[in-house]
Amino acid sequence: MSVQDAAAPTKAASTIGTPVRRVEDKRLLQGQGTFSDDVWMKRMGYVHFVRSPHAHARIGDIDVARAEAMEGVYATLTGAEVEAMTEPFMQIAPEPGSRMEDYALAVGKVRFVGEPVVAVLAETRALARDAAEAVEVEYELLEAVVDSLATLSPTAPVLHETIGKNIGYQDTYAWGDIDWALEHADHVVSIDKLHFHRFSSTPLECNAAVVNWDRGTDVIEVRSNNQMPQFAAMFISPAIGMPTSKLHFVSQDIGGAFGLKITSYPTIAACMLLSRKAGRPVKWTEYRSEAVTASAHGNERTFTDIKVPVMADGTILGFDVKAYDDAGAFMRYEPLGGVIWSQVAPGCYRLKHLRVEYTQVLTNKCPCGPNRGYSRLQHLWMIERIVDIVAHELGFDPVELRKKNYPQADEYPYETPNGCFYDSGDLPRMLDLGLELADYDGWRTRQAELKESGGGKRIGIGIGSTLDSGTNNFGQARLVNEHLPFSGNGEAAHVKLDLYGEIAVNLGSSPQGQGHETTAAQTVGEILGVAPTDIHVKAGYDTASHAYVGFSGTYASQFAVTGLGAAIGAAEKLRDEIRLVAATALGATPDEIELADGVAGVRGDEERAIPFIGIANLVYTNVAALPPEVADAVSLNCRYVYRPPFEIPDIETKTGELTLTYAAQIHVAVVEIDEETGHTEILKYVAIDECGRRINPQIVEGQVHGAAAHGIGAALHESFVYDEESGQLLSGNFYDYHAATAVDVPLLLTGEIECPSPRSPNGAKGMGEGGGAPLSTLCAAFQDALGAGGAVVTDTHNPSERVWRLLRERSDAPRPVEVVSR
Amino acid sequence: MLARPLKYARPASVAEATALLRSHPGARPLAGGQSIVNVLKLRAAEVDALIDISRLEELRTIAATPDGGLELGAGVRYVELASAPLVRERLPIVADVADGLVDVQVRNRGTLGGNICLNDPTSNFPPLLVALGATIRIAGAGAERRSVPAGDFFVGPYRCALEPGELVHSVVLAPLGGDEGVGYQTLQLARDSWALARAAVWLRRDGDAIADARVVLGCLGPRPARQGAIEAALLGGGGGEASVSAAVAAPLEGIDAVGDSHASPEYRVEMARVYAKRAIHQALAQTEAPA
Repeated sequence: MSVQDAAAPTKAASTIGTPVRRVEDKRLLQGQGTFSDDVWMKRMGYVHFVRSPHAHARIGDIDVARAEAMEGVYATLTGAEVEAMTEPFMQIAPEPGSRMEDYALAVGKVRFVGEPVVAVLAETRALARDAAEAVEVEYELLEAVVDSLATLSPTAPVLHETIGKNIGYQDTYAWGDIDWALEHADHVVSIDKLHFHRFSSTPLECNAAVVNWDRGTDVIEVRSNNQMPQFAAMFISPAIGMPTSKLHFVSQDIGGAFGLKITSYPTIAACMLLSRKAGRPVKWTEYRSEAVTASAHGNERTFTDIKVPVMADGTILGFDVKAYDDAGAFMRYEPLGGVIWSQVAPGCYRLKHLRVEYTQVLTNKCPCGPNRGYSRLQHLWMIERIVDIVAHELGFDPVELRKKNYPQADEYPYETPNGCFYDSGDLPRMLDLGLELADYDGWRTRQAELKESGGGKRIGIGIGSTLDSGTNNFGQARLVNEHLPFSGNGEAAHVKLDLYGEIAVNLGSSPQGQGHETTAAQTVGEILGVAPTDIHVKAGYDTASHAYVGFSGTYASQFAVTGLGAAIGAAEKLRDEIRLVAATALGATPDEIELADGVAGVRGDEERAIPFIGIANLVYTNVAALPPEVADAVSLNCRYVYRPPFEIPDIETKTGELTLTYAAQIHVAVVEIDEETGHTEILKYVAIDECGRRINPQIVEGQVHGAAAHGIGAALHESFVYDEESGQLLSGNFYDYHAATAVDVPLLLTGEIECPSPRSPNGAKGMGEGGGAPLSTLCAAFQDALGAGGAVVTDTHNPSERVWRLLRERSDAPRPVEVVSR
Repeated sequence: MLARPLKYARPASVAEATALLRSHPGARPLAGGQSIVNVLKLRAAEVDALIDISRLEELRTIAATPDGGLELGAGVRYVELASAPLVRERLPIVADVADGLVDVQVRNRGTLGGNICLNDPTSNFPPLLVALGATIRIAGAGAERRSVPAGDFFVGPYRCALEPGELVHSVVLAPLGGDEGVGYQTLQLARDSWALARAAVWLRRDGDAIADARVVLGCLGPRPARQGAIEAALLGGGGGEASVSAAVAAPLEGIDAVGDSHASPEYRVEMARVYAKRAIHQALAQTEAPA
């Protein structure tokens, strides 16, 4: 299957690879989009959640009488009612995490600040909020634990009594022979601890849903911005005892999601129960402070006991590490992150011997969602720190060391030790391009001059190499829980020739700004010989009218492969039907028919042609004019499910093809540090991207910018900090959680190379998550400024004070790094 | 409403506003609303009524004083301070501080009076006004006015010298002489975010020597903190690199540094010294070079 199929010549100029204007932008920029909060239903009530002010407490009596007595309050819903009406949500985890009981509202205990305890439905949003204040909840305070390692202590308070300890998942992943490598390496570099901090994304639109449990049909309509609705349906259906066929999910426009809107299903379920109880539609629109405090955060991960075998020539053989991933109070999407990092097990390097002892811990913090770069960015950052620290400790040039250990261009497809295939790429060429754009040599000269002249400033130059693995093989879920009946991946699309010859497309994706309407129109237009502007791609997602499969949604860097793969397949089916009908009408054979500018004609004979409206007429309204064997063979309604060619991974060895495509990012940053204050200015920032064939370069560029800004913000400003004693979130609003804005982000210089994927149907690779490249890049820049033999950068988050402390670290202070050479 | 139900009044004059504030002890004035509206939205304070003073022209004037200084109405917005030619000409530091304050939305609404009455330890204007030796004019009942030196106006965190029923009317600033200079330096978490350290300095040079100085630190305690020991160490000195560095190492006064999720007390104190030094050099650079 290829858009360049020689049997399908088209005359219309190709738009693939050109910056076609986004068709979505007109409505979005003119305020004419439809978001969940724009949806209104007759008799609708507004929900407000009473949330836990405590990090850990037993729930005592709940008194809703005062709230329910207020004029205009429709209903309330408590955890006790939820417990009586529903089953706990299913858990992905095997033992012991499978014993976790997670409900739509807190049952028995609260386990993080902001956890929903009671739902109140009222005539207006303000009244619901006022009534929520009138709900009285008794709490018996319990000790809280928020530290990822302290939570493993036998004396730590236990979050989930059914589990009995604060571990949700634990397993060891090992490939190659790390013990042999550590024994035979010329150097072993040990690093005590690396810490990837907790931060999140900041979608412009918070979570929202309008939910209606229709008594007449017993269908529950959910107009939400959940980004993976079929995943939500699979969780909600058994919990509330409703078949998925009666869960009608709809979304049109979504104002960003970044993975965080996958785990909104508990709150959506609460809205369903409340709707049934009140006999009314329920509108839920999250306040920003609720979104920041209690929707979903990105995972924090602590790496300890890192050992890295290195040969004298700079060949890095692998690593041995213990990883403690902090999921917060509930598992939700976890422990999928427990395996997803292994899509990029050796990172951007030819590492052969790997061992990761992975533990997912539970703490009294907001549960995590699969935040942009999910699970891979923590792992990739650790590997970049390893490579950078090895360079500094052993005296290798950081550029040369990276180039030496990258897979070389002629080694693709490159097989990793765990059986993944890096499909295509050229990291050395990307790095060269990045260094050139950044004027690397010029800055090295400037850096030396500054060192000579002093003046209180110093310059650091950093490189970050990351991957954005896209199109998951869901079979990897079996590596965390062998009983899970998941494998492969797929997406559906439906392409139709409508009554007057129009082309209409619907997709199984739930876009949040990625421009799916535009790239689908480009793709379908290419195959049918129609300009993208003449193709109507239906906005958003709707289980009642769109094609979908269990994997449908928009997440994990895959639309360009799965979504467009489905669109290609459906368009090709339609193309073949049009050719059959046209050939019949024109007395030709189908392979003589070519499609161009909305007309099906016989190649080389301009006189013999039929416009698409004529094809539609023959099939829809003049069908007796077609020979029955042709009429039976066509519908002009073509559905296609794209299925990547995956196999089930091997559970014993934890190997297999876990993702189909690997986009890559090489970033280069030049920072200037004020030695007196630790304050950092980014003087230059270069982002080189490789994501295979670019369907629409402008859309790609936008995502490169977004991912870079997100990472820069996280590296310097954005951090969720919890009070160790009380478990309160200290950065629970935009005053204290400083989401990066345009004024915080330097001018980004971007460049790209294209290495078309041999694995995807169109040469494209999923992209947009960006691998967290700025975190690695800025840490490397700080390390470069500190120089060899000095302090070691061991945290992703480096605000001014941390940099100031690194600069002041005493030379006799115990170092977190040790080198043993033989 | 996001806020709890409350009353709202928009008086037509300052006298009417102060009368309303006197008769409603639970009332608070509403000027730019950049702080109080957020507090009300979070339902974090008990406020019965808002007295909207944002449109009182009497509070919104920027006037030249006969001595060459300025009288700035309490209701003047940051964006107006930043762009007023008179402020630019006479006390450009005031315009610069207003221009760099948070973001454009806040600058379009927030007012000078609101900033100083809130007296958040991280507020921009309190340390500057203390350094400049400003006088705060306060409107009481009817046409009653009283004046308080800025040094006495800031009482504690989120507290100032206003009595119930009073409003800040204006801020009076003396002109700057050619031998005087002002410095204002801030370390911020990010471009439009919290300040971690802030120093404001006014000084006068007499020939080669610093003859008078006010060094004020923000962000470090209940109120803008005058640094007598640093000032004393500066006096009589020439303002050279070494002498200024020595001066800012003097014991700090009136500070109570607390840590939060952004910075430790230790770092804040150290940064206060660094930024005091920088503000002193900035001020010195504006004084006329000795003949």
